[in-house]
Amino acid sequence: MISKILVANRGEIALRIIRACDELGIGSVAVYSDADAGAPHVRAASQSVRLGPAPPAESYLCIERVLDAARASGADAIHPGYGFLAENPAFAAACRVAGFVFIGPPPEAIEAMGSKISARKIMQQAGVPIVPGETPADQSDASLVAAARRAGFPLLVKASAGGGGKGMRLVRGEADLSAAIAGARHEAMAAFGDETLYVERMIDRPRHVEIQVFADGHGNAVHLFERDCSVQRRHQKVIEESPSPALAAAVRRRMGDAALTAATAVGYRNAGTIEFLLEGAGDDARFYFLEMNTRLQVEHPVTEAVTGVDLVHAQIRVAAGLALPWRQSDLQQRGHAVECRVYAEDPAAGYLPQAGRILLYRAPARPGIRIDSGVAEGSEVPVYYDPMIAKIVAHAETRDAAIGRMLAALSEFHILGVPTNVGFLMAVLDSPAFRAGAVDTTYLDAGGAALAARRPLPAAALAAAVVHAQPAGAPVDGPRQAARHDPWSALPGWRG
Amino acid sequence: MAGARRFLVRVGDASTPVDVLADGRVRVGGQAELFAVSKTAAGEYVVTDGTCSWRVAVAGPPDARFVGADGASACVEVQPEGEVRPLRKRAGDAGTSAPMPGTVIGIAVEVGQRVRAGDVLLTLEAMKMELPIRAPREGVVAAIRCAPGDLVRPGPPLVEIA
Repeated sequence: MISKILVANRGEIALRIIRACDELGIGSVAVYSDADAGAPHVRAASQSVRLGPAPPAESYLCIERVLDAARASGADAIHPGYGFLAENPAFAAACRVAGFVFIGPPPEAIEAMGSKISARKIMQQAGVPIVPGETPADQSDASLVAAARRAGFPLLVKASAGGGGKGMRLVRGEADLSAAIAGARHEAMAAFGDETLYVERMIDRPRHVEIQVFADGHGNAVHLFERDCSVQRRHQKVIEESPSPALAAAVRRRMGDAALTAATAVGYRNAGTIEFLLEGAGDDARFYFLEMNTRLQVEHPVTEAVTGVDLVHAQIRVAAGLALPWRQSDLQQRGHAVECRVYAEDPAAGYLPQAGRILLYRAPARPGIRIDSGVAEGSEVPVYYDPMIAKIVAHAETRDAAIGRMLAALSEFHILGVPTNVGFLMAVLDSPAFRAGAVDTTYLDAGGAALAARRPLPAAALAAAVVHAQPAGAPVDGPRQAARHDPWSALPGWRG
Repeated sequence: MAGARRFLVRVGDASTPVDVLADGRVRVGGQAELFAVSKTAAGEYVVTDGTCSWRVAVAGPPDARFVGADGASACVEVQPEGEVRPLRKRAGDAGTSAPMPGTVIGIAVEVGQRVRAGDVLLTLEAMKMELPIRAPREGVVAAIRCAPGDLVRPGPPLVEIA
């Protein structure tokens, strides 16, 4: 059994896990860098240990310091959260060697899925659909052309060693192929010193749909349906929802089956996510394995809302050796959930990340709204880490109702002191394409500029800006005329 | 308008006159409508014009006052009209200040060096991004106010150009 968990993370996910420990009667140990001393996750835990200076490499990414903290605090298990060390197979292995339960998958599964090439190979062997493509052993023009024909058009010619789009060419038809091969080969050689090329079908305007999976050490595996994360900016998810507005029931079944096949193929245990690209719509939509995230996802509350389960509780149970608390037949999707990621960033200034002190933080409280946040009024958003301030999840009977609930909640989510993307999130939610459920992964990058425009302050806001903190003697409260519009002030004895 | 006090509120480059009347009601930009402002909690107000109402959050000192309403937020400056205090230089006005907190990872110029507008002066790293700080105009580097490895914040100029 597990009696004390060290949470090797910070911010909202550390708080999320610490709260789960409280609910299960398990001790919790927070770790922190010098930038996070006194942060909400540190205050919430039953114990805390300093890791080191603010830079992640000297604190949250330092395996030895995390293990030392676990030993010093008497923890018997470690939850990595997401990011930092969560998908580092060396960390999972080091936990095992040091005698700590790692609350996540076996290091072998992390490693197998960590490499795109090995993950793709495993999926292909298991029969999970992958985007057609190959790296021909024979790199002659003729062989590459043959490989391109097998993959189909439109396609991408990429540097096998590559990244960051270098040596990548989009080819719409065979006429452009030989020029693209020559250009990509030259660029690949220049950028990576390796001219090996890879050809891959390009999925035009795909949706990003992922399946939450969960497996235990007793041979049980279930999936918890999908999350649609098509609202992305440069591959960063912005809004996630479940169910996907684009997934037909038959495709959902096939995708769920494929995800379970994928998880089983790597001997997966604990919570994981299989990401797919979805091409087309309706019963004929096709999907392709993109990658597996071998950890709890940022957007896991969306799944918790529609399925009614607690994924972190289940992670801890399964890590402790217990069986999964649910069978597939126990699980269903109820209603619709939408999550928005609230960031300290300035969408109108190229989404420049922001750091600084949060002078005022007032989160909305409404039925069907969940907010997971790692900040409080007076907190610093440090420059060293991801600038996410909060995740807000709206759950309602229908998609329209969930969007309406989210818009209402965001309009009263007051965060002052650093610029945030709240206005941008509202503009996206309220856009005709999002409302119609017709957004693909290119939506924000292709047409996001108008949505990112700064939302104007109403004139009424300037009135409050002037009245705020006026010196003593100056009128601060409004005049009696305002009382006419406020039913509460009609109650005797209420507010004087 | 006896007893009214006038303030100037700067949002970005625009200044708006805001009058607080003797009865406490507020006129914005010389418009006919009058707003009544009621404080509901520390930093929270309900503002009504008699027909519509808005929930507004406010925090910060007059020269860097943050205001939020209905998903919009901004940093504004509030100044009593006629007060001689100069408006605070905003981050960016200095031309060579950090747009966001970050670590100086490289300095590309030396004191005495002539630079042209757009030349890279130094590079910051912030939130996994490299941000070049460029010369706002032609001139000679008069002083360098940071060193590699320094954590810098928006505001003061990092390089002075004479």
